[in-house]
Amino acid sequence: MRLPGTRYQEHGWEQVRKLLGHCSLHACARLGADTLLDPDPEQSLGAYVDAVAQALHAAGAFTERYSNSDGNSYGDTCGELALTLVFELQARPADWAALCTAVAAEHARIGPFWSQPGGEALLRKKFNDLYAVLRDKVDSDNYQAACGRPCSPNRMYAYRMLDTAWHEVARLFAGWREHAPQVGAILGRDVVAMPIEARQLRTSGDCKPEWIMRWSESLEAHTGAAGPLHTRSKRFASLKNSPEKIGAMLREIGEYELLSANRDQDWLHDASQASAWLDDYWRVLDESEQGSTPGPDLILEARQDELDAGDGLEPEPTIDGGPVEAQEAARLALVAQQLSLPPNYALLAALGEDRASWAARRMAHDSLPVRLAVYLKLLGPFDDSYPSEWLDPQTGELPTMQQLAGLDGISLPTLRKRRDAAVARLNEMAGMEEERRWA
Amino acid sequence: MGMTELDLKLQAGALLGRRIEADRLVLADEVLAQALDGRRPLTAGERAALQGSPLTLRRLRHLADSRRAQAQVVRGSWRGSRGLLRAADSGNGLDLLRTDDGMWRLHFVDAAGSLAVVVQLDPEAAGAADVMAARPAIQVRDGSGALVLEGQLDADGECEGPWPFAALPAAHFQQHGARFEVIPRATPLT
Repeated sequence: MRLPGTRYQEHGWEQVRKLLGHCSLHACARLGADTLLDPDPEQSLGAYVDAVAQALHAAGAFTERYSNSDGNSYGDTCGELALTLVFELQARPADWAALCTAVAAEHARIGPFWSQPGGEALLRKKFNDLYAVLRDKVDSDNYQAACGRPCSPNRMYAYRMLDTAWHEVARLFAGWREHAPQVGAILGRDVVAMPIEARQLRTSGDCKPEWIMRWSESLEAHTGAAGPLHTRSKRFASLKNSPEKIGAMLREIGEYELLSANRDQDWLHDASQASAWLDDYWRVLDESEQGSTPGPDLILEARQDELDAGDGLEPEPTIDGGPVEAQEAARLALVAQQLSLPPNYALLAALGEDRASWAARRMAHDSLPVRLAVYLKLLGPFDDSYPSEWLDPQTGELPTMQQLAGLDGISLPTLRKRRDAAVARLNEMAGMEEERRWA
Repeated sequence: MGMTELDLKLQAGALLGRRIEADRLVLADEVLAQALDGRRPLTAGERAALQGSPLTLRRLRHLADSRRAQAQVVRGSWRGSRGLLRAADSGNGLDLLRTDDGMWRLHFVDAAGSLAVVVQLDPEAAGAADVMAARPAIQVRDGSGALVLEGQLDADGECEGPWPFAALPAAHFQQHGARFEVIPRATPLT
C-alpha cells in the first residue's frame, strides 16, 4: 500500500522489521541487555542507537545483500529504511521509554529473561512491538506533511487493514470456484456461476465496503479466526458499521496508488535546492514579525480521530523470525573491530573547518569532536559538504562516536550528553531572528 | 560572513529532526500558502504555533518546495498545450492524438483487456527540455473540462492511466468539443 508520504507500508517492511530485530539483539548483546534497565532512558537510548546503527552496518545492511531488495517503490532500500527508523527513534524518547518499561516489567517478573532459553525471542518481540508502533507514527506524520490532512497512527493501521482486506477479497473472488461459500457470504447471494464482481474488481476503489464488512463478519465461520472488524478489540469500532468511511478510505488508497504508479523518484527534494525552503521559512517569520496580521489566530483545533477512540495502541501481532543463523553471528562478531584515526587527524580536521561559519560560531564553546558528533547526528556520516579533512581516510566517513569520544578524551556517554546539549541549542537558535541575519 | 551550504544543511537538519509527542498540523494549508505568498503574514499567535510544531513546519517545507517546483515550470515557456480531434481522427480506430504545438501525443492502448491512455512528451519539441527538467504534475482534460488523466511525468516523459469514460475515445472527444488540453496541474501531486 502506498499513501502520500508513506515509506514503511509496502512489501519491504517484513525485511526491515527482521533487520531491526536482528540488529537490536546484537546491540543488546554488545551493550549488555541490562542497559535497558538503566533508570535514565535517555542514556540507554543514545547507547542503543549507536550500537544498533553499527550493527546495521556490520550486518551488511548497506551492501549488495540488502541494497538489491527495495523496501518500497520509491527505491529506498531496507537498510536505509531501517536506519532512518532508528534515527526517528532517537528523536522520540517516549517510545524508547515505553520499551524500557516493558522490559523492566518482564525483568521484575522473571529476572534476566534474555539469558534464559527462548529469552532472545521475547526480547526481540519487545523490539518488534516498538518498531511496529513507530513505523505508523512516522508514516502518519509523513502523510500529514505530504498532503496536509490529519492522520493518526491508528488511522494508518486502519488503511493497511483495509488494503489487506480488499486484496484478500480479490483473491477469494479470483478463486471463486474453490471458495464459493465464502464468496457467497461476501456477496450476500449464492454463487453458482462466475460472479461479474470478480471481473470488475481491479483496484481497491472497486471494492464495495459491504464486501469488506461481510468478509470480516463471515471470516470466523470459514477460517476459525475472527475478522478484523469483528474481533473483541474496539480498534475498528468506528469503522465496523460505517460503509461510507470504509469506502472513502478504500478509494483514497486506490486513487493514490494510481497517481503514484509512475513515480520513480523523490523529485521534490533534489539536492541542489535541499535547503531553499529555509529562505521561505525565514521570510514567513520576518514578514510576520514586521507586520503581523491583526485579529484572531487561525489555529486549527485539535480533533480526535475516531479511529483513536478504541483500545489504544496494541501492536499488531508479529511473526517472529527464526533464531539468528550461527554463521551470521560469527561473521558479525568478526566485524566489530575498532578503526583508528591517523595521528594528525584532529589538527587537519580543525584546519578544514570554516571558522567563520554560523555553525562553528554557534558551537564555538564545544570541542571539535563534539561539533563533529553534532554533524554526525544531524546529517549522517557522509555529506557532500563535509570538508575532506573531516573524513576518516579508512572509511571515507566522519569518525564514529567511539572514535570521537577517544579523540576528546571523554567517555561515550559524556560525548552523547554534550552533543545532545549542542543540538538542543542549535534547535533553539535555528530560525531565530538574529540567526536569520546571517543568511 | 554568510551562511555556508553546510550551515544551511545543519539548520535544516536541526529544524526538521525535531519531534514532539502528539504533534499535529496547527495551521491550515490556506494559512500557510497565504503566508508563503506574502498575502497574509502570520499573526503572532500563528507564528508561535508554527515554531512550536515541527510537523507543521514540515508541511510548510513541503508547500514551499511545491511552490518552487511549480514556479520552475512557469518560468519555462510552457503553460499548456491544446489539441483538436481532426475529421480524419473520427474513425473507429483512434489510437493517437497530437497537440497543435507538437509537444504532446496521446496514445490509446489496450492494457490487459481494458483501455489505457498515455500522454507522452516529445523530447524534440521546443520547450520540452524545460518541462522535462521540472517533471511537473500534469493533467489532460477534454473539451468540457473533464479530467482524462493526471499524474507526475515519469523519467521517460510519460504518464499513463486508465481511460476513464464509458464511450471510446473517438466518440467521447466528438461529444465533448472535439478538443483536449494538456496542462500543468495547479499543485504537484504529493
